[in-house]
Parts: sequence; C-alpha cells; structure tokens
Amino acid sequence: MNINKSNPLLLHPLNKWMKKKKWSWFPHQIETFHHVRTGSDVVVFAPTGAGKTLTGFINPIDDLIKLKKFEGLHTLYISPLKSLANDIVRNLEKPIKELDLNISFQVRTGDITPYKKQKQKQKPPNIIITTPESLALLNSYENAKEFFHNLKYIIIDEIHTFLDNKRADLLSLNIERLQTFSPNLQRIGLSATLKNKQDAKKWLCRKKPKIISYENSVLPKIKILETKERIPWSGHMATYSINEIYKEIMKSKLTIIFVNTRAQAEYMFKNLWLINKKKLKIAVHHGSLEKNLRLKVENNLSKGLVDCVVATSSLELGLDYGDVEKIIQVGAPKGINRLLQRVGRSNHNLNTPSKAILVPTNRFEFIEAKAAIEEIKKNNLDQIDLKEGSFDVVAQHIFATACAGQFDINDLYKEIIKAYPYKKLKLNDFKQLINLIQDGGYVLKNYDQFKRIFQLRENKNIYKLVNRRETRKYRMNVGTIIENPMLKIKLGTKTLGNIEEVFIQNLSQGDSFIFAGQVLEFQSMKNNLVQVKRSKSLISKIPSYSGGRMPLSTNLANSVRVLLAKSNMGDLYPDQITEWLKRQKNISKIPKKDEYLVEQFPRKKIFYTVIYTFAGWHANQTLGFLLLRGFKEFNYKPLGFVANDYAIVLWSLKEVKEIKKILNIGLLDKHLDNYLEETSIVKRLFRDNAIISCLIERRLPGMEKTGKQVLFSSDLIYTVLKKNEPDHILLKSSYEDAKKNMINYDRLREILKKIDKKIILKKLTSISPLAVPIILEINRENLSKKETDEYILEDLENEILKEANVLSIN
Amino acid sequence: MYYQLINFGDEEFYAYPNKSLYWKRLNTLIVSDLHIGKSISYAKNKQFLPPYDTKEILNELFVSLDEIKPSNLIIVGDLLHDIFSTLSLKDQDHKNISQYMENTDFIWIKGNHDKNIQIEGFKNFTIYEIDKFLFTHIPIETPLFQICGHYHPKVKIVHRGKTIFKTSFVHNEKIFILPSFGILTGGLDINSKEISDVLGKKNLNIYPVGQDKVYKL
Repeated sequence: MNINKSNPLLLHPLNKWMKKKKWSWFPHQIETFHHVRTGSDVVVFAPTGAGKTLTGFINPIDDLIKLKKFEGLHTLYISPLKSLANDIVRNLEKPIKELDLNISFQVRTGDITPYKKQKQKQKPPNIIITTPESLALLNSYENAKEFFHNLKYIIIDEIHTFLDNKRADLLSLNIERLQTFSPNLQRIGLSATLKNKQDAKKWLCRKKPKIISYENSVLPKIKILETKERIPWSGHMATYSINEIYKEIMKSKLTIIFVNTRAQAEYMFKNLWLINKKKLKIAVHHGSLEKNLRLKVENNLSKGLVDCVVATSSLELGLDYGDVEKIIQVGAPKGINRLLQRVGRSNHNLNTPSKAILVPTNRFEFIEAKAAIEEIKKNNLDQIDLKEGSFDVVAQHIFATACAGQFDINDLYKEIIKAYPYKKLKLNDFKQLINLIQDGGYVLKNYDQFKRIFQLRENKNIYKLVNRRETRKYRMNVGTIIENPMLKIKLGTKTLGNIEEVFIQNLSQGDSFIFAGQVLEFQSMKNNLVQVKRSKSLISKIPSYSGGRMPLSTNLANSVRVLLAKSNMGDLYPDQITEWLKRQKNISKIPKKDEYLVEQFPRKKIFYTVIYTFAGWHANQTLGFLLLRGFKEFNYKPLGFVANDYAIVLWSLKEVKEIKKILNIGLLDKHLDNYLEETSIVKRLFRDNAIISCLIERRLPGMEKTGKQVLFSSDLIYTVLKKNEPDHILLKSSYEDAKKNMINYDRLREILKKIDKKIILKKLTSISPLAVPIILEINRENLSKKETDEYILEDLENEILKEANVLSIN
Repeated sequence: MYYQLINFGDEEFYAYPNKSLYWKRLNTLIVSDLHIGKSISYAKNKQFLPPYDTKEILNELFVSLDEIKPSNLIIVGDLLHDIFSTLSLKDQDHKNISQYMENTDFIWIKGNHDKNIQIEGFKNFTIYEIDKFLFTHIPIETPLFQICGHYHPKVKIVHRGKTIFKTSFVHNEKIFILPSFGILTGGLDINSKEISDVLGKKNLNIYPVGQDKVYKL
C-alpha cells in the first residue's frame, strides 16, 4: 500500500485541527489509522514529539464521530503514572474543545474524589483515562460487565514500562477480562523505541498483530557538564556542581533536572534555593509529595510558569511539555533507555535535537555517563525482557473476580491463560491459588467455617464471595506496588506527603529534616501521623527512600567496563578523572575488561573485601549473599554486604584470607540451594507475595497496624509456613519470584565459571579510590537480619563488659 | 539450654531464650502471653495465617516441661487469644496437656484476652501470691514484687549505626515483665508510654532474647 498517495486521515475529523495548527500527519499515524480500522491490534513505536498520544486516539475519535452521540464507555486509555493521566487529559482537551466535538472524557485514578468516581460509574464518559490499578478496581465492581460491554478500544501508553513487572501481570489479566466483556475490543499499544519490538507485540496483540514503527534520525545532543570544580570520589548529591547547574538553568527557558532518588530531589532543590539570587522559580516533584503539591507543579510546568523543576522518575514518562528546553540528568544514567526517555522530555520538536547535560555525582558515574553517550551515538538500546506471570497477582485477580460476582473456575482459568504472561500457568497451581483466596490454602483444614469464597452446593465449579464486606478489603489491597511502611507528614493541619517509617524511627524530637523543599522539625508521631513544624535549622537530614532502586542495565555495564579498560584515558576524560584513575592504578589496579579485581583492606577494626564484577546490581546482589555464606563457612564472621552495579563489598569481623577458595563456581553449587531457603530476600518477597495475594492486609482504617508489624508478622508467617508446609503455593510463588527477579542465575554462572582464573587480588592498607563509592553505601543490606543481630548483640555485650572492667580497675 | 541469671527481689531466676523464666528454688516455670489460637481468631476476619501456631507454641512449652520437669507452671495471662482459640486445641493437645498435669500444677492467671474462658484441668486465678511475690497479668498497686506479662516488651538497640528491635525480659526494682511466649505476637517498645508508665524510664534491667542466648544490657 502506498500510504503517501492516499492518506485516509485527510478525511479524519481531526484533520481540520491539524491544518489549523499547520501540522501534518506522521507516517506512523496514517499506518495506525489504517491497520486499526482494518481490525488489527497494534503496537506503535515512536519517539516523543511524534504525536504519540494523538496516534492512540485517531481511531477512537473517528469511530465516536461516526457513531454519533455514542452513550457510555467507548475507549479506555491506560497510563503508567497518575501524573501522565492528567497530562493526557490536558492534551486531549485541546482538539476536542477547539473542534467542538461531542466526545466526553475523564480521568479516573486514585487521585479523584469518591463522589466523582460514583458519578462516573453511573454515567460513564466516552473515554476514560486511568491506571492499571484503577482498571483492576473497575473490573471488581458488580456492574463491570455492563460498564465495559461496549468498549471498542484499549490504549496502553508507554507499554515498554509494562513488560517486566508485576504491574504488567495485573494489567494483562485485566485486559483479558475486558476482552471477555467486549469480544470486539481492539488493543493499541504506544511505546518508546524498544530493542525487542516483537516481545511487546506478543505481550499485547491478539488480532492480526502489527508492529508500526517510526524511527527518529535526529540524535539528541548530550554532553557531560564541564566543570571547574572538583568531582568527588563518592557520594550522590552533586553538591560540587550546584553553581554550574544554576548557570545552566539561567541559560534556558525551562529546565527539568532529573535525579535518581527522592532524597536527591530534596537535596538538589534545597541547594538550588540557597544560591537562587536571581529568584528563579524552581519547584520539586516526586512521588512522596502530597497529590495537590504534585498537581500544582505539573500545572505550572505545562503553563511555563516555572523556570526549573527538580524531579524523579515521577516526571519521566510521556509528559508533553513543549516548552522544556533542556534536561539536566544528575547522577548515573543507569540505562540507555531510561536516559533517552528522560532526554526526550526536552524540545518536543522532532527535527531539532533534544538537549541534555549529564552531571555525574562522583567519578565512577563520570565513566558511566561517558559510556552512555557512546552507546546512544551507536543507538544501542537496552533489551527489556518479558517476565513470566507471578502467582500472587493471579490470587489477587481471583479475589477481584469474586468481588464482581460468582464465577466459574474453568471459565476464569481459560481467560487467564490467554494473557501472555500466564500462557504456561498450570491448572493445578491455579486451583491452589483458588484455595489460597478461599481460606489460605493450608493442608491443615482449620478454617472451614471462616472461608472468604465458597463453592456452590449445586455446582462445585462456581465460587461465590461469603459476604460483600470482603469487597472493601480487596479494594484496600489492590495493586502490585508494595511500598515500605510510610507515615503521613503534617505541617499544622496541612499534609505534605509521605515519609518512610524507618527514617522517622531514627529521629528524635527536635531533629530537623528536609521534605517538600522545606526544613522541618520533628515534633511527634501519633497514629501514623508525623507532626512537624517549620525550622530554621541549618543542619538537617534528608529522608531516605529505599524503594524504587534503578539497576544498571547490563548493556551499559558492559560498556563501562570496556571504556574503563581503554588505555588512552588522557584523551577520554578531564584531568581530574585521569588523575583519579592513575591513582587507582598506582595504589591498586584498573581491571582489564575480562579481569576481576578484588581488593581487601582493614578499616576501624572491620575487614573489607571489595569485588569488582561489573555484573549489574541483580547478579551482584546474589553473589553477595552467596559470599556471605562462604565467609560464614570459613568463620570470618561476616556482618553484611552491599552490592551496587559494579561491585560488591563485604565486611567481616575477621580477615578474609582465602578469598580464592570461596570465590569460584563451587560457591553456586554449594550454597545456591540453601541460599534461597535462608536469605532475607525470599522473606522480603514472601511479604510482597502475602500482601499482593491478600493473605495479609495492608493498613486498613480501624485496624491501625503499623507497617513495622506487617513486616514483622510476615516474617513469622514465613518461618512457620516453611517449617510446617514447605510446599505451600505462596512459598512456591516467592521462590519463583526470587528466581525470576533477583538471582540472575545464568549471568552469575557465566562469571563464576571463569572468575577464579581471572581474579586479581590486591591486599591494601587502606581503601582504594575505586572502592570509595561502594564503601559509603554500606548500611543498607545484610544477609540474615537474625544473624547480624546476634553479632551486634554479642559485640555490644562484650563492649559493655570491657567498659565495666575498665571502670572497676580504675 | 543456655540461660541468663536474673536477680529480682533477692531471688534467682533463669531466663531462657525460648522466653520462659525459671524459679529454681521453688521449681517453678513461668511463661506469659502465649496467645494460643491467634491464627483462628484472625481467620474469622478472613486473614488466613498459617494455622500452626498452636502446635508450635505447645511443642515449645512441652520441650521446656520435659527438660525442667517443674512442680508448677505459672502462666501470667493471655494463654488464649480469644474464645475462638479453643477451636485450635485438638483432642490430642488436650490429652498431652492432661499428661503434663500429672506432674506439674498448671496455674493460669487470667489476662485481658482470656479472662472468660475455661479449660479443663487448669486452675484459674486473677492474681497468685508466693512469699513476697505476686503473679498478675497486668501490674497492680501492691508492696509485693510483681511478675507479669501483657506488654510483650521489646527493646530498641542502636549500635554501630544499626537499629534493631529485640524481644526482651525487663524489670525494675519491683516489677518484672516477661516477653510473649507466642509466635504470631508482636511487641511493644520498652520506651513506649505504656511500658514507661509501669516501669519508669530509669534503672531498667533489660535482657534481649537472642537465637540461642539471652543477653544482658
């Protein structure tokens, strides 16, 4: 078909609007219109600025105009972020209002009021823009079938974010449900450029699957901040560069500064204000902030009322803020895809390149930034691997199904295995998940009289919810994102947002900390509310948020390794980086691209072993756990380890003398089986599994369990269950998750097979330049909390005894 | 089993890592807050915890009884979580308990969770006195030394930059609080208002319970 000759979009209702704006249709928009009109499910790959949002709506709008005064829900638009949903509404509003089209549309997320939700349910608009969690909720209502029975299109935006996580599992199950309700439903996926496009197609498309792709030939202009300041060896806060970043903000009309963590966002924001002599309008945006604060920033951003926004990944996706001129990425890029996504936020004009500046926060990150720029030049994207569906999400889905009304388990099973992630779900596992929802699914049948769902007497295949009260529990527990226990922060009566309980536990009354860009003084904590007041203190802590870690992509990790090993470093880096690497070379060594450097040194009575694997966080994490076991076996009294993307550091009370005997392929063979059994990682995953499968509840009003207690009791449940019923479906589910997400077994095996011949062991008297960043990350992970706790207690007791002796001698 | 020697009210007590307390002079074993059948009580609210807590708690108790062979077993309250909990006691459990009762007196001091529940063979008390010691679930006004439960004390330990919480035995000069012997039971920080109101904040003797050992702070 020659699309250019006969552009069917010239007759489209939106064509008038396009002409008025002096815009023309993109080839992928014409193709999408054609293929969807002829019955295909499609995935559209296009860079930002190529009218992606509009592309999704081309067919729905055409159809709605043709149908004339269509009553009820016609199109569902799924966005990965609440903030993005709001932005889509803003973008959709323009053509529909300007053309005075008779199409209604509304957003539906956790952020809208119950009243609006209720009204929406009674009289749905033609288009609803929502999130996977809100879709799951909609599907759990008794009238779900009538609500969706005329649904024509489902659009999944940013589909690349939905391929490798439990949210994707949840979404896939709910899409199949919609397909059951409305068999003619067509699926449209929208995605940024992806390396493995076929996988996205397999995941989403059923009817005449079609990939539509539009590649942009204009490469972004990315450079590393040129600095006269000293780039630190370690740290993640980029304090050194603050003045230079400020100058960059002044040079551009509107800048987004992306950082990797919420703590960094707060810190960067605070420091920019301290030097804000020109009174620039600077705002901060991250997921822990209260909804209203977030919305205000988003609004100001779209209206161009700010000069700069400091943001985390909360502003990363799809937002179409045409006026953003420059992106500053502070901290490691972590992956090619992520960096491209962020860089794509600037200058939404396809023919001019996006502009971005990378600000490494330490010297290691400088090398990573450099490597990322090289890969982008080669257009070498990261691969996103599809994941097999998790069991706990099915359990939650079963509960949701029961909330919507009685159901036939055979029908449900058939529907579930249509979803791509669950193609291989076994009937037997499914039945165990039914039992899990029914009464916990234990062999010991203690709970017969307390079932949540029960079989009808006349038809054993039909299950029904015991009472409607349970629907409320489902609704409080929906979703697959388990956050750490969070507490609400109140300044007077105003809620500022949420903060991690762990952080508050380490504060005393009167301590000050930074949140929402303000210095606050901790006053009291009551009923999960943290009361604070404004403070003028200059010394303040920054809350840490342990969730949302971004692992380095394998692709970029390899690139870093190669770059580091290059001998012509003088040409590659500024002097200070070259100096740093030279110093490393003198004190220890710079590993060649197939060597594994191991450094050992004592520090404050503790012995450190640093292993540079460049294996990425997942593999390093597993290796760390295995090594802890190895160290224990050799009685080195290990206290813990930290892994980052490049290296692992383990610390122990005794010197590790035989590292080569431990660090080899035998480590896997000897310890992997036990590893899964004993590490806190499976326990942690069990907690997620228990919550996602609704075995234990998240916080519910009236049941003021603190988050700490949930964690505590899930540990106990795990221990009791493992001892008494090791084959329980939830344990199986947790192990599967561990294998899928955490271990990265194959990659590790490859490394360990050859590692013993390639270890370069350096015994040092003190820390090396390369080791500084990871040493400072200590205090975040440990093997088995139980064991470390014992060491700490023992140690503390010994110290106290010693003190006591000293006192009595004196 | 390793124990920690605790002097309280001029008497010697042994604190065991399984959270029981032994008074050797009178050959008396003391436990508290077993909360037997908590899982069943949760199940009625459709929270299906593994139904093995009763079995585990009883096993642990029987191990202690076998090893120590005490003349008395004093339970300082909350043996059962609630009226539903009795459902988790099977015939075999009752048989086992009766067998142990042949050599040991089971003294059940009623707690807030189980005050209206009866089990055959148990002697029920609201308080119980031996010499200058008073056994009660929640401390009362008295000149006597008191041994109680109820609070499930745990201690927050900050050491080398790490914060951990540990279930603990704790006492001041007059009042001794046992940790919970149960397994699905949570804990309350010794610094919390509830415990401070009873023990005060100063001169506390705290004994965190480790895996195989009871420590002393």
